[in-house]
Amino acid sequence: MPRTPTVADAFRPPEGADLLGRLRGPGTGRPAVDPGLAGGLRDWLEDGLAGAVGGDAAGTGPVRVTKETLTGVLMCEAHLVARRTAPRVVTVELARGTLVDALFRQWVTTGRLDDPWSDALGAVGVGDDGDGIAAFVASLPVERREALADEIADHAAGIVARWPVPSPTWLPRTQERVVVPLVGGRVVMSGVVDLAFGGPAGERASVCVVEIKSGRRRLEHRADLHFYALLETLRSGAPPFRIATYYTRTGELDVEPVTDDVLVGALQRVLAGAVRLCRLAAGTEPERTPNALCAWCTALPQCGPGRARAGTDVPRVAGDSDDDDDLALVSTALAGEGGDPVDEEPDR
Amino acid sequence: MTGPVTTGLALALPRAGALTDAVMAPPTDVVPAEALADLRAQVAGDLAAVVEAMAEGERLRFDAFRFVLARRHPELAGGDGGPFVPSPARCRRAVGLSAVARCLRGRSPTPASAVAEVLAAGVEDAADVGDPAGRPPWWAAWYGGLPAGGRAMVEAEAVTWATQLWTALEWERLAQATVGGDDWWDCPRTRRLTLRGQADVRVRPGGRPVLLVVGGGVPPPDWRGSLGFPALVAALAGRERSVPARVVGLWPASGQVRILPVDSGVLTDTAAAVVDAVAVWVRRRGRPSR
Repeated sequence: MPRTPTVADAFRPPEGADLLGRLRGPGTGRPAVDPGLAGGLRDWLEDGLAGAVGGDAAGTGPVRVTKETLTGVLMCEAHLVARRTAPRVVTVELARGTLVDALFRQWVTTGRLDDPWSDALGAVGVGDDGDGIAAFVASLPVERREALADEIADHAAGIVARWPVPSPTWLPRTQERVVVPLVGGRVVMSGVVDLAFGGPAGERASVCVVEIKSGRRRLEHRADLHFYALLETLRSGAPPFRIATYYTRTGELDVEPVTDDVLVGALQRVLAGAVRLCRLAAGTEPERTPNALCAWCTALPQCGPGRARAGTDVPRVAGDSDDDDDLALVSTALAGEGGDPVDEEPDR
Repeated sequence: MTGPVTTGLALALPRAGALTDAVMAPPTDVVPAEALADLRAQVAGDLAAVVEAMAEGERLRFDAFRFVLARRHPELAGGDGGPFVPSPARCRRAVGLSAVARCLRGRSPTPASAVAEVLAAGVEDAADVGDPAGRPPWWAAWYGGLPAGGRAMVEAEAVTWATQLWTALEWERLAQATVGGDDWWDCPRTRRLTLRGQADVRVRPGGRPVLLVVGGGVPPPDWRGSLGFPALVAALAGRERSVPARVVGLWPASGQVRILPVDSGVLTDTAAAVVDAVAVWVRRRGRPSR
């Protein structure tokens, strides 16, 4: 009797020309750019935020809207505030994300990955390593470090096997920072795009944005991607024609076209989150919204709804159980996978 | 600063066309030769008085970085900042400019290939220490000593920077474009102070220079001063026809453009700001280190 096909049997990660074809699309019929769209979206945001921003009397600087702060504030304001005051914890997930990001960047740029572990550590060592990934890796017990090295090697092998090096004529750029100031710079949206290719848009959309994830596929990643589509639209005056998330562990690729609905949905989410962030910046007491992450919240002992949700008043510590789904969400959704650098270094 | 006409730019698509239009627009204001001579004498006198307070034998090279630091963070001015430590972000401009220059001269088809060639040539130059004619770029020895992963980050960072500049303009429409280049002005009344102005692209529409300066992030609130500084140094260092018609600031990360038309008022205001900034720097430098 023939074996019934399973989902696992059926799934074949895209690779080579197939992968690039999905990212590029047919190459014809790319969407026409509505020249008024970006300005309209910006006006909508400005209007929505005008009443929410204060005058920065406290001198705390602009309200920063990133994919991490957005996800955090919409999940639970109190959790976000607690995270900001707690010492930053480097987890295996964060380290893995940073190292895989570096390897992907190296592959796309040079077409070479000779020794993934050494290459990844070499990449981290040459930058400012604001997250302290090199020190974290060095402090790992030998067995865990070797396990992480094996994992990194698997991700690297997948990248090399499935990703053709993009042609330089596609103008690929990696870790491209996008910053959108709003309401006179009092609110700043920002993000770092893992990979973008395609020249600047004219009459038709021409840029594809790819976000790299080393962790599991999650629904929340789509919101991150839509946020990037909005950022790129506001920055360059034209939306990307495609946005994609690539999962280096499994080779899964989620691609979607950028429609007006995608941008409007992202804008409404940004508005909802940015208004909350402005309120918090003005000193308003954070709202508490019990959720699956309450168990890891450092404010758990002082949070009644959180204690009720978690069933304890003792917070769990990130890094205690790497295989926990919720923990992975804590470390990547709120801290960022691979950690977006925030500040520009001066050019020389 | 109370400069006269300063404008932002609403960029139609394709933005490279609109930005190129802005860069190549004919010059409007002219700074008269007498006004320039007066300014030069005034600035030289003011700066000479300020640097009098420096220790005997001390010299100061004042560039845009120090100008901005003294204005925005006077508490940090005056220090040596410790040894310079290269990083991918700190050398992306130097490598990226060389790469864009290669593209402009038709030696490389794309920024990515140009960056790879620039880096390879830099390593070669750094290794060829016996050649008295060859002077490797400042980043070359450091870059050559990096592991493969580190070198890849330098390359990637420079490719992104160079691609942003290369795609920002319609280069075939630029008149007499040059990439990079510095202006130097030794203060004639003291010789202990040198101003250094930098621009990323220089063109000469209508026989007058126009400077394009690439910034990081978003335009700062005092962007007029940031754009005025290279204009002032170019004006002081050259003749009447070397006064830039305008300085165009481009901040690719935010897609923002600012245009500073240069006239006597802008130069005078910027000069006053530079004298103040040098004074801050000299004052801070004179403080005993803790």
